Amino acid sequence: MNFIPIPLIIWLIEDLLYLIIFPGLVTILVLVIIIIWLERKIAAKVQMRFGPLWVSKKIGGALQSLADLLRYSFQEAIIPEKADKLAFILAPGLMFAFATIALIFIPVGPYYSALFPSYYTILFSVALIIITPIFAIIVGWASDNKFSFIGALREGFLLISYEVPFLLSVVSMIVIFRTYNYISAVQSQLNFLPGIILNPLAALTMLIVMIRTTGRFPFDITEADSELVLGLFTEYSALFFGVGMATPYVELYNFSLIFSLLFLGGWWPLNVNVMNPLYGLFLPGLIVVIKAFIVMAILVFLRAVYPRYRLDQAVRSGWSYVLLLSVLSVILSIVEVRFLR
Amino acid sequence: MSEKIFNIDDLQNINVEGEKYIILQIGPSHPGSGHMRIKVWLDGDIIVKVDPDIGFVHRTSEWLSERREWIKAVPIVERIMLPDTVHANLAYILTVEKLLGIEPPPRAQYLRSLVAEINRITSHLYGIGIFGIFLGSSTVYMWAFGDREPFIDLMEMLTGARITTSYIIPGGVRWDLPNGFKERAETVLQYMERRLKDYEDIWVKNPVVQARTINVGILKKEDAISLGVVGPNLRASGVYYDTRKHQPYAAYPNLDFEIPTMKNGDSYDRLLIRVEEIKQSIRMIRQILKDLPEGKIVADQIYNQLNPVMKKNYEEKKRVMFPAFMIHMRPPPGEATAKVEAGRGEIFFYIKSTGDKYPYRFRWVTPSFRNLPFFTHVAVGHRLADLPTIYGSIDYFPPEADR
Amino acid sequence: MNEVRKPRDPVTGHIKALAKGFKYLLEPNRMTLDYPAETMKLPPNYRGFFTVDDKKCIGCSMCEMVCPPEAITMVPRIIGEGGKTLPAPEGEKETKGPKRTKRPVVNWGKCIFCYFCVDVCPVDAFIPTQVHDVAFEKDKDYRPSYEEYLKPPEEPYKNAKKVVSKADLKRGVSYEPAP
Repeated sequence: MNFIPIPLIIWLIEDLLYLIIFPGLVTILVLVIIIIWLERKIAAKVQMRFGPLWVSKKIGGALQSLADLLRYSFQEAIIPEKADKLAFILAPGLMFAFATIALIFIPVGPYYSALFPSYYTILFSVALIIITPIFAIIVGWASDNKFSFIGALREGFLLISYEVPFLLSVVSMIVIFRTYNYISAVQSQLNFLPGIILNPLAALTMLIVMIRTTGRFPFDITEADSELVLGLFTEYSALFFGVGMATPYVELYNFSLIFSLLFLGGWWPLNVNVMNPLYGLFLPGLIVVIKAFIVMAILVFLRAVYPRYRLDQAVRSGWSYVLLLSVLSVILSIVEVRFLR
Repeated sequence: MSEKIFNIDDLQNINVEGEKYIILQIGPSHPGSGHMRIKVWLDGDIIVKVDPDIGFVHRTSEWLSERREWIKAVPIVERIMLPDTVHANLAYILTVEKLLGIEPPPRAQYLRSLVAEINRITSHLYGIGIFGIFLGSSTVYMWAFGDREPFIDLMEMLTGARITTSYIIPGGVRWDLPNGFKERAETVLQYMERRLKDYEDIWVKNPVVQARTINVGILKKEDAISLGVVGPNLRASGVYYDTRKHQPYAAYPNLDFEIPTMKNGDSYDRLLIRVEEIKQSIRMIRQILKDLPEGKIVADQIYNQLNPVMKKNYEEKKRVMFPAFMIHMRPPPGEATAKVEAGRGEIFFYIKSTGDKYPYRFRWVTPSFRNLPFFTHVAVGHRLADLPTIYGSIDYFPPEADR
Repeated sequence: MNEVRKPRDPVTGHIKALAKGFKYLLEPNRMTLDYPAETMKLPPNYRGFFTVDDKKCIGCSMCEMVCPPEAITMVPRIIGEGGKTLPAPEGEKETKGPKRTKRPVVNWGKCIFCYFCVDVCPVDAFIPTQVHDVAFEKDKDYRPSYEEYLKPPEEPYKNAKKVVSKADLKRGVSYEPAP
């Protein structure tokens, strides 16, 4: 056979590079480790103290999360006797898997993505990213503990009430950009204005939904420390616990990628049409990931400022204020499309 | 929301867990419970009955004091009321002075009020910090406990120990102000005033805090009086009563201060009233440092028993040593009571002496024990997430309630 | 009559809280003591570990009587030359009589550092120090013998930087190098 499918091989290499190295699993792990350390350091600086310092004193304790990960790997995994063993063991892993899987449909460069350039990447990625909290309910039900059960119920209430505003804000951006895929959306932003100026209401709605879904303060309700011992993950130990604690940060990473592609202009200063490995593939990706990291750092800073809401207040505001905000954002984008083009 | 006080017999009927009610044990090893167990009956998300299970930190302070000499009860009583040690010390010594018939000199009275007000500030900061961590914000917790440090350093400069100072003895106090105390106190007070503005911006006026605490745990004025709650919780419900004004002791008759009261009696008022009381305490400390009279710091009955070595120590270092009378103190037979307004409420002492070297009956009631009706009567009808709010706002300290 | 209150200033409250948090993020304001790289030099009246002056003590046992947790015990000694005392022979507990006396020994596991003993001594024989962080390796080190008790306590972390705490307008407590 003298026909060697070279484009197929190049596409396979690019695919593996995307999914595993950058911005895939290795980047996710490194960024999660850095953002956990950064959250503790930011909160400590606002609270007039040092935070993690002694693990590697010269670089300000940056290896603390790595030390924690090592500790979780060597701990004894205790499974309660009356828990539903299959669900107990599988559910955190499935949660982590589904949190990462939305990355398949998010391109971070004009020629750098994980699948064939598709016309519907926005819809696919949004659909995958809101499946994850269902596994959180399974986690809460599987451990035989009243506190986890109450945490799972709270997660169920919150999941339903914040889904509709999220979809409506994505719909409003689709209406403005007149496209269903990210690359054209970023291209319209490069030609005109970033999405956050075009439709600030949709940006605000998406930020609030991001805070809710990943459990940042003030919506830290499922892991409420003073009412439920640790919410969903009360009975977990060892790597199950580590994975469960890291999953919200992975969701935060995916949401931030979506946010920076739709609202912050993606790879904005760079207007490339060139398929060159460094200039066309990696540099736009690096810019998008850096913007996503800045958004993550801002959301993580909220831990130092706010306490947490009560469940009925959060659910009520999800169905009233945030829904209103998202409907207004759709109307705003329809008005803009009508009168500004 | 409960509009009337539940009859205690109604509460006994709800005992069965089944399809309608869940029993949650917010037990001793829980981040939001302190050293006690709170059994909660839940109907969905609404609390139906609360049963606080106290007694985990009972350390038999009354029994121990009835078998030790009179002066040895001072460290026992101090270590039970830990954020508020000076007030417990002061209450006990006021009772013993009534039995002995000794009156401390004016400078000692002012110094007693000085350490009492410093301790009131640290106790209120402790309460604000614990309230913050129960609502979920670790910022206010770290700030409040960090802001106690300058005041505790003042106590260390004056007495030599940070918290359990054992500063007040029958007849007066043990040490006098060292050099540099007044300037350092002024710096600390200015720092605290600036920090109170920061607390207001980030905590008191925070919309999330207001949404969590306004109209939660309302205790009306008549209920507060008939349930017998004390301290800032009583004043937040609108009752104008403070032992420092109505039955004054130490230097309080000569000081000029106000007693803040609030109208509504919900958790937000209990937070606001603690901030206001810190401001009043700062005002009082400034007055005390300005008006401090000269003179001795122990009563003459004690001073005349000091031997020449002890008198030399008093002249040079202003340090009062103990004559042998302190060990073998035998107050004349009789009974005495004393009331003191601590940070959390009022401490009440009753001691009966039969002329022996041990007290015959040593009885004291602490403010946290009086604030227990908040759990059984006020928390009913609220949601589960309101239980830490109410718990944090009443500033309940379990070792003090269990004595 | 309780009026139903709504949270006041919803929008400006959020902005002010975030601005205050951001301000604290940027300015240098940590108030942590970097122990054990730095240790504090404490004020001279700090109540730390204490020893006794062998020659001044008259063996009256008032310190044993006043100690609230009963941490002081008196050991029998024999008066030697120059006012110093020598240990009594084994098994002899007699403390009255010619050339016999008692001296105090503190059980550090029970002592609460209230300094009642230091203040009740009629000849002011106790020597206080400002050492507070001695660690004992074995359980029997809590109950020293009289010769061990006479030695002043050893301060750990001798190579640490000594600082003095000062009240500070900006961060409450700041630490400066000790003079």
